[in-house]
Amino acid sequence: MDDYSPPVDAPGGIAAPARPAHVRSGRATDLAIDAHGIGVRYNLRFTKKTTVRQSFAHLLRRREGPQHFWALRGVTFQVEHGESLAVIGPNGAGKSTLLQVLAGIIEPSEGQVEIRGHVSSLLTLGAGFDAELSGVDNILLAGAFMGIPDREMRRRLPEIVEFADIGAFIDAPLKTYSSGMRARLGFSIATAVDPDVLLVDEVLSTGDQAFRDKSRRRIEELIQAAKGIVLVTHDMGWVTTFCNRALLLERGQIIAEGDPAEVVAVHTDHMEQVRIEKEAEAARLRLQGVL
Amino acid sequence: MTTAVTGPVVTYGGRRPHALALVRTGLSEIWSRRRLARYLIAAELHKKGSDTLLGNVWWIMDPLLQMGVYVLFVSLVVGRAGTTADYPLFVFAAILPWKWFSSAVNDAILSVVARERIIKQVHFPKIILPVTATVSGVVNFAFGLVPLLLLMIAFYRERIAWTLVLIPLIAVVQLVFTLGLAIVLAAINVFYRDVGNVARHVLRLWFYLSPALYSAEQVSKLAGDLPWVATVFGLNPFSVLFQAYQAVIYHGTQPAWGALGILLVASLGLLVACMYVFQRVERAFAKVL
Ligand SMILES: Nc1ncnc2c1ncn2[C@@H]1O[C@H](COP(=O)(O)OP(=O)(O)O)[C@@H](O)[C@H]1O
Ligand SMILES: [Mg+2]
Repeated sequence: MDDYSPPVDAPGGIAAPARPAHVRSGRATDLAIDAHGIGVRYNLRFTKKTTVRQSFAHLLRRREGPQHFWALRGVTFQVEHGESLAVIGPNGAGKSTLLQVLAGIIEPSEGQVEIRGHVSSLLTLGAGFDAELSGVDNILLAGAFMGIPDREMRRRLPEIVEFADIGAFIDAPLKTYSSGMRARLGFSIATAVDPDVLLVDEVLSTGDQAFRDKSRRRIEELIQAAKGIVLVTHDMGWVTTFCNRALLLERGQIIAEGDPAEVVAVHTDHMEQVRIEKEAEAARLRLQGVL
Repeated sequence: MTTAVTGPVVTYGGRRPHALALVRTGLSEIWSRRRLARYLIAAELHKKGSDTLLGNVWWIMDPLLQMGVYVLFVSLVVGRAGTTADYPLFVFAAILPWKWFSSAVNDAILSVVARERIIKQVHFPKIILPVTATVSGVVNFAFGLVPLLLLMIAFYRERIAWTLVLIPLIAVVQLVFTLGLAIVLAAINVFYRDVGNVARHVLRLWFYLSPALYSAEQVSKLAGDLPWVATVFGLNPFSVLFQAYQAVIYHGTQPAWGALGILLVASLGLLVACMYVFQRVERAFAKVL
């Protein structure tokens, strides 16, 4: 793959040349996602569960280490309606962060993204549920969180319940559900809402085999219904079967973009390289131990 | 299916809106998501058991028991002579709104972090969380009026006056004041998780520094020739609120409208400022949680 070159400062991957910002508006309207030079910076000072007490302790100590961390930098790409884009890459590459930006959950620190149409995100399945509420109430609450009109949500209710296959539990509080049931419910809510753009983050491997097959069919249906999809997965089979384009992220930058099979090949290649390097490192350490 | 796009076009990133626009967005977001607000309030009430009769029994019993403890304690320490006449009713007039205030603040502080997972999954106006947490307390406050009326009918029938109908007006001022605090504390708690602990202690101190168990007149009498003490004391919003509640419930007189009006205006200002702060830091929630 001659596509691969270490990321330089210029934003954008290989297949998506950077465009000046003012060209953006007035383009063909079948762009579902138009991301331009997206960067996301995490502030490392405020992480999970900081307390006032700790902050005082930090003030007294001298600051050390970096204060910021760029999880994404200069990410530029487009998704047309009807396209399904796979985002692959090693752990920590920034895939989930990218989907969160597309869903509007994280405001990009730099760059812009324009989304046309209703977005539905399946980022972490079963999350956001209220354990005390019943299945039906959770469906309605989820719809309200997603901003779907109540009437539409009620209309889709039977379909969602049917697909989730939860049976009599639907009126029981969610805390009585198994994790598989929660996952099924999450999947059916997110896919029943008829989004123009569906964002999926590593959720296809949840549930039992029967549900996996069913959700596979549902995703296929959505793809055939010509809706935009951005799919994050470790299952390379999914990438090559269902996506017509793939994007390889590494350390927050686009390394390769294009035909799924080719991008997957680059990815596998890199993973192999990393594995070999790790082994060599381990061998070196072992050797040092011996000497 | 066609590929025609009917949905909205949204842009994330780019220029930051200015202060007033942020507040305006907050307001319109709450309004456009009133269905979500209604569901969240229903869920909150459901969790507290307020949608069942038995659950509400506690909201009736709780202030009564609390009042009993205070009355007993204060009478033992100060002696009956030192307390105001019909002391139980006097205390009750303050306990009821305070219970609403303190539980609303505590609930609101946790309201955002409790929804951590949905915040990381779906884009929605987060300001709706502390607002609904605060507003749902109104229901409990309303239920708390039941034991108040029972108490008055049973023991203090001669104190029942038309001024009782003014309670909702005072409650509105309290609600506006509470909303501002609730919103800003909920936001701070995302970044510093021990705000709840700090708030608990501050609230306790605040209650004892407010004329709930003693009257404002007793304070000015004690202050004597240090008039600034009474002035500082009067600046406490709950000094104004408690005195207003005591006026309409205990004294059967109209509240000090001037002080209430000033408090309302100040609370509205506080609310706008707190909404601005919230809207400003909201974008960082999903990153920090
Ligand atoms: N809330 C956060 N605060 C700080 N760093 C984060 C946060 N979330 C993710 N990161 C970091 O950003 C990088 C990208 O994370 P993520 O998008 O989850 O990667 P992926 O989904 O590709 O595994 C990782 O190095 C991760 O540690
Ligand atoms: Mg991830």
